[in-house]
Amino acid sequence: MRMLYDVSHRTSFHYAQPVRFQRCNLRLEPVRWSGQELEGYELTVTPRAALTVMRPGGYPVNMVRMLLEQATTELVIESRFRMAVDRDVPEIRTDDASLGDVAAAVRASGDLSSTGPANYLFASPLIALEAEIAAWAAAELDPRRGAVEAGLALATRIHDEFLYDGAATVADTRPIEAFRGRHGVCQDFAQVMIAALRAHGLPAAYVSGYLRTIPPEGQPRLVGADATHAWVMLWCGPARGWIGFDPTNACLMAGDHIVTAVGRDYADVSPIDGIFMGQDQQSVDVAVDVEPVEA
Amino acid sequence: MSQLPGLPTWGEGWLASYLPRATSGDILRGDVGRGARWWNHLLEGMAGLGEGNLNHLQDRITRQVAEIGTSFRLPGEAHERPWRISAIPLLIGEDEWRGIERAIGQRAELLERVLADIFGEQALFRDGALPAVMATGSEHFWRTMIGVPPPGGHRLHTYVADIGRGPDGEWRVLADYSRAPAGAGYALENRLAASRVMGTLYTRLNIRRLAPFFSAFREGMAAACKRSDPRIGLLTPGRFNQSYAEQAHLARYLGFLLVEGEDLAVREDQLFVRTIEGLKRIDALWRRLDTRFIDPLTFDAQSAIGVPGLMDAVSAGNAVVANAPGAGVIEATALSAFLPGLARRLTGEQLHMPNIATWWCGQEREREQVEAMLDELLIAPAFGGPLPGLPDGRPVLGADLSPAARAELAEGLRRRPQDYVGQEVVHLSTAPTLVDNMLVPCPFTMRVFACRDADGQWTIMPGGFARFGAQGDVRAAVMGEGAFSADVCVVAHRPVDAVTLVPPKVAIRRNPGTLPSRAADNLFWLGRYLERGEATLRLVRAALGGTIEADAGAGLLPRTMTRLRGLLISSGAATDWAGGGGDLGEQDMLALALSAVDGNGLASVRRLLANVHAIGEGTRDRLSADVWRLIDEPMPEGRAEDAAGLLNRATALQVRFSALAGLAAENMGRTAAWRFHDVGRRIERAVLACRLLRNFADDDASADDLTTLLDLTDSQISYRARYMTELSLAPVRDLVALDAYNPRSLAYQVASIGKHLAALPVLRDDGMAEEQQLIAIELGGLVALAKAEALGGHAVMAIENRLLALSDAIGRRYFLQGGEALRAASMILA
Repeated sequence: MRMLYDVSHRTSFHYAQPVRFQRCNLRLEPVRWSGQELEGYELTVTPRAALTVMRPGGYPVNMVRMLLEQATTELVIESRFRMAVDRDVPEIRTDDASLGDVAAAVRASGDLSSTGPANYLFASPLIALEAEIAAWAAAELDPRRGAVEAGLALATRIHDEFLYDGAATVADTRPIEAFRGRHGVCQDFAQVMIAALRAHGLPAAYVSGYLRTIPPEGQPRLVGADATHAWVMLWCGPARGWIGFDPTNACLMAGDHIVTAVGRDYADVSPIDGIFMGQDQQSVDVAVDVEPVEA
Repeated sequence: MSQLPGLPTWGEGWLASYLPRATSGDILRGDVGRGARWWNHLLEGMAGLGEGNLNHLQDRITRQVAEIGTSFRLPGEAHERPWRISAIPLLIGEDEWRGIERAIGQRAELLERVLADIFGEQALFRDGALPAVMATGSEHFWRTMIGVPPPGGHRLHTYVADIGRGPDGEWRVLADYSRAPAGAGYALENRLAASRVMGTLYTRLNIRRLAPFFSAFREGMAAACKRSDPRIGLLTPGRFNQSYAEQAHLARYLGFLLVEGEDLAVREDQLFVRTIEGLKRIDALWRRLDTRFIDPLTFDAQSAIGVPGLMDAVSAGNAVVANAPGAGVIEATALSAFLPGLARRLTGEQLHMPNIATWWCGQEREREQVEAMLDELLIAPAFGGPLPGLPDGRPVLGADLSPAARAELAEGLRRRPQDYVGQEVVHLSTAPTLVDNMLVPCPFTMRVFACRDADGQWTIMPGGFARFGAQGDVRAAVMGEGAFSADVCVVAHRPVDAVTLVPPKVAIRRNPGTLPSRAADNLFWLGRYLERGEATLRLVRAALGGTIEADAGAGLLPRTMTRLRGLLISSGAATDWAGGGGDLGEQDMLALALSAVDGNGLASVRRLLANVHAIGEGTRDRLSADVWRLIDEPMPEGRAEDAAGLLNRATALQVRFSALAGLAAENMGRTAAWRFHDVGRRIERAVLACRLLRNFADDDASADDLTTLLDLTDSQISYRARYMTELSLAPVRDLVALDAYNPRSLAYQVASIGKHLAALPVLRDDGMAEEQQLIAIELGGLVALAKAEALGGHAVMAIENRLLALSDAIGRRYFLQGGEALRAASMILA
């Protein structure tokens, strides 16, 4: 079923002292991904800043470099777009590649493009491979098991065993800490799942994006709405390719998910990062709105 | 010790006792067996130099190493250790060396082509010659570098290999380095130390020189730049890096600016260095900093030591970074398994020097082979890092694995076989080393350095350094525990040309170029701290001298002693002295003086020397070896001292400060660097003069106060030369404050500062004076118009405050931290 969404993502920075010469990377414009089509995009920065679209940075990420030379205490970055999503819930099939086959296929893969599975097989700057997580996940990741089924089983296990707790972790909490506490938010759950998959030789990517706000009638409201969301993609062999799994909601990526960027971990896709000159006191306010539009 | 005629010479004797102990692969035994005479000549020569005792030579070389200042740190250590070098160089015949040279050049070129493919066409991957994980498995693979052509045309400008020689005499490559391998500086310093001891022996042996290699490297870097007379920097992580001393030495030797990330800035895709003359273009960086940290906007956003936007300058073709970011990908051990095939494919040749036979477990058949031969093979990480079964990330001989580690390894190989390789165990041949005045065979590995010359061709350093370790296989010898190095010398058949480091067409210049702001800052504070240390010592000596003479009945008035105490405390020297007020006995004064010398106060001599050491370390590329040696000398320790003992120690320390002052005054080139150092000294001395005047020359000053003031300002003789009368307030004030002929006076310092600031560059182009110049002019006026009679505490205080304002203004104008925080703060991730 084709869905149409209007999305706005507004980030306001407030600095106690004026800062100047801000240079940021904005990774806010959604990438092209199967099952979704961008129908208009607008990026506004106040005060007005120089914006340069950067050459593709290696991963499926659109990046704009922002340069603001004047001194300011307020900075507002707003990303607005309309997105059509037409993505069915992936099926679990009996002839899905087994996890063992997937692991062998990625080792032999010659695909060095940005979606090549080999890019997502190793430890990355924010996700170390931990023996503890590997052992915990071993029960779900038998090499003979079908890849899609195993992926959903692992996502479900995280959903069942972990407590969603926005106060338990911060942006740079390491996966092992979230794992030991069995708590966290979408970012932590995604990183724990990725750590588990990679530790078993499976290629897993970190996805940043959005989840629809208004729940379909009669269904409960999904956690993670009204904010940016994060989940996982597992490469399920050459036939199925990349399939998304949402450990926060124990489901597969489908019509409610909008993909913004795909990378190895949060560092590759973080919506805004950068540097400025001045004192390091800032407050940030993020407002996200994902509104379904009547088609 | 001379030798009797007719008996074998010392050299013959050493050889005769060495040969039976050396096994067949020994390099000396092989050379001698083939009729080569260079070992004989070396040992005869060394016997002559050491008068039959090799230990003498070893002692001399060790002294030279200390002299040159070669040192290194082990990771995690705060202090540098001396570099250990064997007295006996490792000689390699020219013919054998030619084979090494050819093989290393071939390998460097091959690796360049592999890099060009990884970050370019990627045909090797499409065609199945390399699996994609060969790139993605390396933490040094940066996808953002794909499709970025390297300015200057090459990704590799330097390449380093560790090689080992098997018992059959065949050399093998043990490891490849393309990031920022340490060692070229150590090789240079080894050679320097050895040739100082060996004198003309090296020339007589026809040892090939190292200098042309470094010239070639400098010219190669320059040739890669767009501008014809480029500015090149050595980008260092800073003085806490384990090979900082080497980096500073190399920067000085190569004529590169030693820069940290903070010293650099990118504006509109151009790279600049922050100097006292503002931003200046810089064309190339030889980086000793991992890619991850060099640009927070492109790589790790959390890096605080990088240069934001550096990669924009690189992508625009405006800055050469050597080696290119991403070059580290070829260091992966697993890649060795593919290099023989890649050599045939990319160059149509076999590898001239094989690497260690390597089986990458990411391939089914290879993994089974490794599992079958586990006990005979070294098991190593394919891409690095600790792994299940290899907890410290180092290679382990399969047979040495504990049952538990073996089980972990099996699990690791099942889950992530691509992380492991198996490697043949290479046994190393031996070379002579010196143990207890005897030649002893010891296994060695060698580090070989290659660089591109001005034509982009590979040049190999003729020599390098060998490392000797206890173990006979390639797990040997990281520098550190028990290992030591030796100078590797390539022996030519014919006399080598005397090389001059001066290329023929050099435009003469008398200015060493722009001074980076950081260096100016360091030199300024070096001057201030050295002067401050000297001042504390003078106070200590005055305090102790006063009490010692008190026993002889000629001591200072209690009020004068109280003032000395006040100054020692308020200057920050003796802040942890616990005594109270009131009159001071001898023991009080001793405790106070001890605190000022050894205590934790900010201006205690010990603390100041530590500051000087830290700053000196950060400015090593601009300090002469003599200066550094004085700075690096440990603080003399005293125990259970009486006043006389402490006085002796304070005197010895003061001699050291005086020596440093003398070196600065007589040996530093009269450049901007010297001016900043001298301004630092002058400001400190001027501020001190003010403090002393306020304490000892206020309107109620006694004769004891005045004589103490003259002592502390080293002006007794000047006073006696001018006045026959007793001490009198106004003349003393005038001499210490206003007399421009007295080099210790306030007026003299102010005049010097004014001259320095007039000579330093200004940024304004409207002909108006800058703030620091205005304050200096104002100070000059204050001093010129002052009258000794009216120069009481308040008047002096006003001058002192302007001096402090001047110091701040200089900092704002010339130094990094001036005015606003230039250090980039990382933005919160949203």
